[in-house]
Amino acid sequence: MRTILLGPQRFTVRVTGALRSLETEGPVAVINAGWEEREDDIGELDAALDNRARNLRLFHRLADVLEKDPGFALQASRFRDRHDELTNVYRVRLQHAMGGVYAVQRLVPSHPSRARNSAAYRALADAVAGIRAIDTWYLAEVRRLYGELEVDGGVNSSDVIAWHRAEVRAAQNDCVAWILPGGNIRTLMSSLRLFDVTIPHAVSVIAWSAGAMALTERIALFHDHGPEGSQETELFDAGLGRVHGVVAFPHARRRLRMDDPERLGMLALRFEPAECVLLDDGAVLDFGATGTIPLNARRVGADGLIRAGDDA
Amino acid sequence: MRRKLAINRLRERADLGPELVAQFVERYRSPIIEGQNATFLFLGHADEVFVRHRVVGLPDPLPMKRIGETDLWAATCDLPAGSRVEYQLETRRGDHYERFNDPLNERVAHSPMGSSSVCAGEGYHVPSWAVPDPETRPGDLIEHRMRSKALRREQQMLIYTPARFNPVLRYPLLIVHDGPEYVQFSAMKTVLDNLIHRLDIAPMIVAFVPPHDRLREYANNAPHARFLARELLPMLEEAYPLVESPLGRCLMGASFGGVASVTTGVRYPGVFGSMLIQSASLAFTDIGQDHGGGPAFDPVVKFVNRYRAKPTRFTERLYMSCGIYEPLITPNRSMVSVFREVGITVKYEENRDGHNWDNWRDRLQSGLSWLYPGPQKYVYE
Repeated sequence: MRTILLGPQRFTVRVTGALRSLETEGPVAVINAGWEEREDDIGELDAALDNRARNLRLFHRLADVLEKDPGFALQASRFRDRHDELTNVYRVRLQHAMGGVYAVQRLVPSHPSRARNSAAYRALADAVAGIRAIDTWYLAEVRRLYGELEVDGGVNSSDVIAWHRAEVRAAQNDCVAWILPGGNIRTLMSSLRLFDVTIPHAVSVIAWSAGAMALTERIALFHDHGPEGSQETELFDAGLGRVHGVVAFPHARRRLRMDDPERLGMLALRFEPAECVLLDDGAVLDFGATGTIPLNARRVGADGLIRAGDDA
Repeated sequence: MRRKLAINRLRERADLGPELVAQFVERYRSPIIEGQNATFLFLGHADEVFVRHRVVGLPDPLPMKRIGETDLWAATCDLPAGSRVEYQLETRRGDHYERFNDPLNERVAHSPMGSSSVCAGEGYHVPSWAVPDPETRPGDLIEHRMRSKALRREQQMLIYTPARFNPVLRYPLLIVHDGPEYVQFSAMKTVLDNLIHRLDIAPMIVAFVPPHDRLREYANNAPHARFLARELLPMLEEAYPLVESPLGRCLMGASFGGVASVTTGVRYPGVFGSMLIQSASLAFTDIGQDHGGGPAFDPVVKFVNRYRAKPTRFTERLYMSCGIYEPLITPNRSMVSVFREVGITVKYEENRDGHNWDNWRDRLQSGLSWLYPGPQKYVYE
């Protein structure tokens, strides 16, 4: 069964063609919890899906759980506080460690033969390993926090949550494909986790932007042009892991400093062996049934250059 | 070859007279911005005319020269790109001096001291997020009063809650010195509404608190600090769902309001983990007591001198901004390293502006988004 990642759909709609290419008939499950309050406004999306959308309404279900299960709501609020605290510490560690990496990177001689023999070149690999260690630590802490929420919030014993989980299972049971649009990745992942959503392997999935990020193994947050100024790319959470060996970067042209190869190269080194795949407007990446990264995927190389096809 | 300034081309005209001057003024108005030059104009009878301003580096008063035998007066000065300057004109007729806004310039800025004309250099634009946007969902601003034992009076304030306020969620808190002035002269409610709508900043609760006796209360005043930390903060925590950590509590102020923020932080370290100060009046002396700021600055200088001798880490994150055309630029620059040395994470920004409310408005996006970033990093549509 196929997994297709698309570029953002706002200006260049590719989802209709992608869905038709699956050659299926019947309802498609839509998880657009990342749209939050606008979750039910799927008229336009439904039209693009040939009126086959079946909205699983995970955001509204999440709101319903928070309203009807005060015990869970309290623990969810505590989880959020702890997660914010963890994120703050992670950012501090990351920022200082990345400062060290860039400082070492600047010491590497520009001439390739001199670079390879330099102490700075060898130090760079070690410094990047330090960043990976911080990323690994952060994801482990996030996992621990989710574990605590599951126990303290009674996620597996709550009647309300169990009722919604059963409804979601029933709603998607006869769906022939799944659609995960973009939106707020934090809300999307919270909903997917709470309702224990697992996409059946036998069913095809089409996703874009935040939806595409959710399908990968590691979700990276990035915005080099945000109002608060350029900040380091940071991990947010583990994704559903449907797509292997990929870190997804939707809206790359709008959100990444594409004219800074050293910074881009560092991104590639940091997430190796995973590939940093850019998902800009018009992108259609068909991972097929095997999950192999398609040749047309635009990837960031360790030298900071963007390549696609056999060059990548 | 660089083109001559419009005023110089006029000056060289053989047919220079009232009719030509009237056409010139009608065409250009004032000030005339040509590259990095600003030419101020005044049309009228006077013995002398001056441009009055508070821009450090330019002569004040800046004398205007009469153009030929006409009633047109002009003065040209440097104005680097991106600059924004507030000014007035002053005339002398015999012994009589009169100061007023530039009648040939419609752009005016307001402050508690009155209004001034605005000269915007090349490249300066009022930020789009500082003007009302019909797409933006507005938050609420309500009046609130509380009895303060520390201040021995009733304290009024305005409290802002963001659009789509949800009591189940938790919000960071911002306490703003000179609060109503920030709302009135820096369009702060509009700014908050827009920046929250654009996902640039987190939705937050904001208390806009006015002073009573500003120069006394804001100059390292124990009752004022006690009011903020021991009365206002607990009241707000009781009334609103606030983030519990110190990082989620921010004191903010401009000029003496900046001093009030810092001195409160020093008196109650760790209570306010975030701080936003603009053109803070952190004056000090390196030797002697002659600070030149007048009696109002005495307690400020005493505090800052003492702090510089033994600095402490009174907050975790500090956003500072200052206009490079204001006299306070040097003290602000000097304090950055002092704050950083004690481990405070400082973001410091300068811009080509002066000590005024539009300057402070223009830096709100940068400061607030750094302290309380919005969910933009999480949103991939």
